[in-house]
Amino acid sequence: MTAAGRRAVTVLSGFLGSGKTTLLRRYLAGHSGAGVVVIINECGAVGVDHHLVRMVQEQSVVLQGGCVCCTRREDLVGELRELLDLEQSGRLAPLRHVVIETSGIADPVPVLFSLATDPVLRHHFAPASVVVTLDALNAAAQIDRQPEVRKQIIAADRIVVTKADLAPREAIAHHRIRVRQLNPTAKISVSRMGDASEVLAAGAAADADADADHVRRLPADYDPGALSTHAGVRSIALGFNVPLDWPVFGVWLGMLLQVRGPDVLRIKGLLDIGDAGPVVMNAAQHVVHPPEHLPAWPAGADRSYLVFITRGIDPARIAESLETFQRAGGRSDLRVRELA
Amino acid sequence: MCVLCGQMFSEIHWSERLLDPQQVSQGESETKRRQDRYARTRLIAKVLAHYGLDISDDWSATNYVLGNRKGVQLVAASLAEVWPAAARMAGRAVDPLDGALLRHLRRLGAGSDA
Repeated sequence: MTAAGRRAVTVLSGFLGSGKTTLLRRYLAGHSGAGVVVIINECGAVGVDHHLVRMVQEQSVVLQGGCVCCTRREDLVGELRELLDLEQSGRLAPLRHVVIETSGIADPVPVLFSLATDPVLRHHFAPASVVVTLDALNAAAQIDRQPEVRKQIIAADRIVVTKADLAPREAIAHHRIRVRQLNPTAKISVSRMGDASEVLAAGAAADADADADHVRRLPADYDPGALSTHAGVRSIALGFNVPLDWPVFGVWLGMLLQVRGPDVLRIKGLLDIGDAGPVVMNAAQHVVHPPEHLPAWPAGADRSYLVFITRGIDPARIAESLETFQRAGGRSDLRVRELA
Repeated sequence: MCVLCGQMFSEIHWSERLLDPQQVSQGESETKRRQDRYARTRLIAKVLAHYGLDISDDWSATNYVLGNRKGVQLVAASLAEVWPAAARMAGRAVDPLDGALLRHLRRLGAGSDA
């Protein structure tokens, strides 16, 4: 369960054969009978032995006028609604956590879109995190050749580099750099035989301390000039000298996502809006998670930051636009700078 | 739906959800909602002026009313509906990265400082 009393949903994604099921098996072994339900889109080579595994056939419906991320996953909507019915009629123990294992080539964003927009589900389920597995043996070629893998990495909150026992240490270090280039906000774990399975836990991504730690580490190994080799995908981390005006920020970001949504691949950050605690921002394409207003700053984090991953957009223009809007909205002393 | 005024609330924009979305806003929280709403509308008016459009709140501060210089008006039920409606009325994309728009906003800022 999340703080708001909704059931946590973890989306587990990763290319074919990247170790999703191994990670899931290990996780379920430690959380048997704890209100965890698993929804699986395809039957992998490794079976999952769990009494609450539900298989569904992927059925995607692209909404009229919508882009690719406005795809409604009818299969998941139907399945999650059925789980609610079962729980409420007493035929299923209270649900705490749902893990959705997508197919290897699935885009996780439509799953988030379906959760955020379904009039029933959004009151009962909340996305906890998107976990993506990356095969240490094949990651380099897959990132280069498979657009699905790049999409999954960009949408991820956590990346698990799997099969680490089979790959040389240098290869894993190289994968870390490639992942950071595509998504500087993702937390990276290394797994041997699924031993990093706790990243799937419902509270893993909501852990504010971990987020703060990540903010601290961001400037150290983040290369703001890092230009990915993939079709103009670029990222930028922005910092601010004074608190942001929240209504103005909402207008600006809403407008940006409306026009440039398909090319703003990811936004993540912690914003000081002048209150006691910051606001946690998280958006994948134009699916914005409801911003969470923390009561206080997490330990170790004391400043705002906002990371953008874009395709075909000059990140400097985003910084200029955000600063101009804030100043036009009354924060005349606000300066946006690139974190280095 | 509000039983008093008949307003339908189909969608609460994410930027308006820092107040508890489950609660009916009243007292202090309603004042805060109106203040934030006013700040939003004022900024959107500055942006839309660049496209020859204007915007105002309806009486209940739940809908936005967009207008052009020919007297055409469109009602947008949420912030998410404002931008597609504005693009339709302006006949072009309303883009926050548009250099001409940013220059327009900076000129307005410089004017108000003077």
